[in-house]
Amino acid sequence: MRLLYPLGLLGLLAIPFLIAIYIIKSKYTEQTITSTYLWTLSERFLKRKNPINRITGIISLILQIFIVILISWALAHPVFTLPGKALDYCFILDGSASMQTVEDGESRFDAGKEHISKMISSAADGSTFTLITTGNTTDMVMKEVDDKRTALRRLDAVEPAYVASNLATAAEMATRYLEENPSCRFYLITDRAVENATNVEVINVAGNVTNYALDEVTYTYGGEKNLTVKGKAFSYENDATLTVEVFVDGGNSPAASADVSVTAGAAADFSMSWTQEEFTSLTVKIKQSDNLTLDNSVTLYNKRADAKSKALIVSNQPNFIKFTLSALGISYDVVEANDNAYNYDNVRGKYGLYIFQNYTPAAMPTDGAVWFVNPDTGVDETSGFTRRSAEILPNSTRLQLNPSSKNRVEALLKNTDKAEGTYVKEYIKLGTYREFTTLVYCGGDPVVLAGNNAYGNREVVFGLDLIESSDFAMSYNGRIILYNLIEYTFPSLVDSAKLYCGEPMSVNVPANCTGVKVESPSGKEEYLSTSDAIAEYELTEVGEYTVTAVTSNGTQVAKVYSQLPVAERTLNAAESHFTVSGEISTKKRDGRYGELLYAFIILAVIVVADWAVYCYEQYQLR
Amino acid sequence: MAKTVIDDELLQQIELLQMLVKNNVAGMFGGNHKSKTYGSSCEFADYREYTPGDDITKIDWNAYARFEKLYTKLFLDERQMHTRIYIDASNSMGFGKSKKDEQALKIAAAFAYLSVCEMDKVSVYTVQNKQLNAVISGMLGKEAYVSSINALNGVTFSGDSYLADAIVPSTVGYGDGMSIIISDFLTDNDYESAIDHLTSKKRHVLCVQVLSKEELRPKARGKMHFFDSEDNNRYYRKNITREIAQAYKKAVEYATGRIRDYCAARGADYLLVGAEDPVGKMFFERLTDEGVLK
Repeated sequence: MRLLYPLGLLGLLAIPFLIAIYIIKSKYTEQTITSTYLWTLSERFLKRKNPINRITGIISLILQIFIVILISWALAHPVFTLPGKALDYCFILDGSASMQTVEDGESRFDAGKEHISKMISSAADGSTFTLITTGNTTDMVMKEVDDKRTALRRLDAVEPAYVASNLATAAEMATRYLEENPSCRFYLITDRAVENATNVEVINVAGNVTNYALDEVTYTYGGEKNLTVKGKAFSYENDATLTVEVFVDGGNSPAASADVSVTAGAAADFSMSWTQEEFTSLTVKIKQSDNLTLDNSVTLYNKRADAKSKALIVSNQPNFIKFTLSALGISYDVVEANDNAYNYDNVRGKYGLYIFQNYTPAAMPTDGAVWFVNPDTGVDETSGFTRRSAEILPNSTRLQLNPSSKNRVEALLKNTDKAEGTYVKEYIKLGTYREFTTLVYCGGDPVVLAGNNAYGNREVVFGLDLIESSDFAMSYNGRIILYNLIEYTFPSLVDSAKLYCGEPMSVNVPANCTGVKVESPSGKEEYLSTSDAIAEYELTEVGEYTVTAVTSNGTQVAKVYSQLPVAERTLNAAESHFTVSGEISTKKRDGRYGELLYAFIILAVIVVADWAVYCYEQYQLR
Repeated sequence: MAKTVIDDELLQQIELLQMLVKNNVAGMFGGNHKSKTYGSSCEFADYREYTPGDDITKIDWNAYARFEKLYTKLFLDERQMHTRIYIDASNSMGFGKSKKDEQALKIAAAFAYLSVCEMDKVSVYTVQNKQLNAVISGMLGKEAYVSSINALNGVTFSGDSYLADAIVPSTVGYGDGMSIIISDFLTDNDYESAIDHLTSKKRHVLCVQVLSKEELRPKARGKMHFFDSEDNNRYYRKNITREIAQAYKKAVEYATGRIRDYCAARGADYLLVGAEDPVGKMFFERLTDEGVLK
């Protein structure tokens, strides 16, 4: 036996005080009465055989001491050891998305938790409980907790994830724990059919279910406002005819629908086209219900819908740039490149990108990104560069791409092909005041630069003519670089509006951004760092994420739909093996019994009640 | 004390009562109580053949007409009774707030007045230790009562009481009336001999046991050290528990039952009176019920 709170025994110190008080108070009251005859005579009628009468005088003291001992002992919370009656339990709970499959009104994850809960409740006192969960990460949620209530409380707090689980990592963690505690018993609670389990008892919570899913859903928004939605439908357990519906901007009635015949386990393509005005989002759903609804719908967002995407082209030869912007879905306006036609005061606040081709404005725009294409004169210091001179080459010369492996350079030169060549016969020598990233060189001189101007806006400088003195506009790499630079200077908040749960989401931090907030489908909010141009955030839930960026120019909002991972859609997937390496000892832990507290309290109450009755009879009854 | 002993209103009411003496009284003087001897009262007793010299007015001529013999009618004699009242004047009667002393004196005064009203002689004695002290001796008539009864106010209660040792050697008279012993009878000392002695003298004996409320139903509980008011060497030291309280109750029943039974066996009357009980109620209800008064 051991005492959980030995300090409770300090209550025994009350006993000497009790005895002292008893001694002080136990004086006989002296009284002279008319005659002691009757009192003496009463001795004849006393039942002397009862030995309890001998201790009648101190029975109250005995009872009080007994109560103090009981209370002190109860406060000390004695726990009795029961040798070899307890076990060490280690539960490995699969927290993958498929565990959210609902069967008979209860999810597999909840069923698994209930299994564990029952085992904890029925385990002998003194047993310890360790819980490993898989999900977004594989964690040891609790380790060797020996209090059942604490263990149940922690188990209750565990939530399933929306990603594929990594049982191999859990097995490694269990193996490490087995090295620490060889007498532990392992239980794996999962919905996967584990073919070979070593040192672990598998509790399979999977039942017979159906699951339909959508994947690879995309849209194209072509000319004449023709909207086409394509994708694949799946039925993992049985053949089915599924109805796929598309809802625009969260509407209640579908804008389009298609019936798709699906063979079990195989993908079936579907495609729907219709004329659609501007839209913000498209929600594609399977009409039929199944046991796992997380993968039955996908929402696609129009990346440009909420972006400040209009551009102003100040040029006398705007055609090439116009075509490029149109191809990327960016609207634009064009003004002639002369001081009469272009007046910044007239256009201030209307555009996100100013493109000056063969023209230099009198003042730098302060409210958007700026492109200078073959600037004809120098500009003021706020632009961060100077035009030194025009360099005319004797022969066409191949431009060199920056070979740097810096993130920014790689991002801006992504998809370029180093084998492809771009040639130039004339270029402008540029000088810089600010820190620019050089993307393209010509003989060691920077020709294409990207960076920020004095107003914090992104700026691109092309030190060449895109059409007449170079084949930049016509070359493969030139077109790719133009696309990348438009993305750079005119970025959408997120690169992709459709990702799988568990994947990282890249957020393009706008210029002068003071904060980026990500709100998950469950409402959790997280703020990302704005120190880098790109911030990453790992998606852990299925559904609609909202990204909000606050800049000096206002607020920019983008939405991303996080899909259920493909691996989690097969609800009766098999796992080839789950091995907890090592040798499990047959040794058992000592159990304990510590529920005496309540017995003591009940006993104390009975004693106190008996004492009260005794006192009442002693002093009140006649 | 006088104010409490003599209750004028009570005395006026008591005049209506009459003492019933069981044995015929053999007093010297005429009175209101029937005697064993033939006398001149109105109550017919017997016939006797006429003897010359007899009072011819008492010849029953009707009997002569029937039997042709002269018979003289005999009548019972009525004698004066001598009521002797013995008050236990020990300390146990007068200690503390028990009021037993006051009650004893009230009862004695009432009995004395009742006897005086019946033209009986009254003597009141106190018993202290083994001494019998006459407080009032041979009081006769209401005038004597008025002048003598105040002597009761001077009675002091102290010491012990040995009723037998005090009463048996004294002159108690023979068959001449009632003897009333007023005491708490809470003693091991012999009082039975006194009752025996009085009954052997053909006296009508009435034992009045006066007990206080605290003696009948004591409230004391817990650890008590009782000292006897009559003798400090006598004490009782105990934790008064429920069991002891119950035993005490039985002891009270035993003590009262003992004297009641003893009196009943000897043809004596017995009455248990609470120290706080009204004396009038005792006379008009209980003593009449017992047949001591009418």
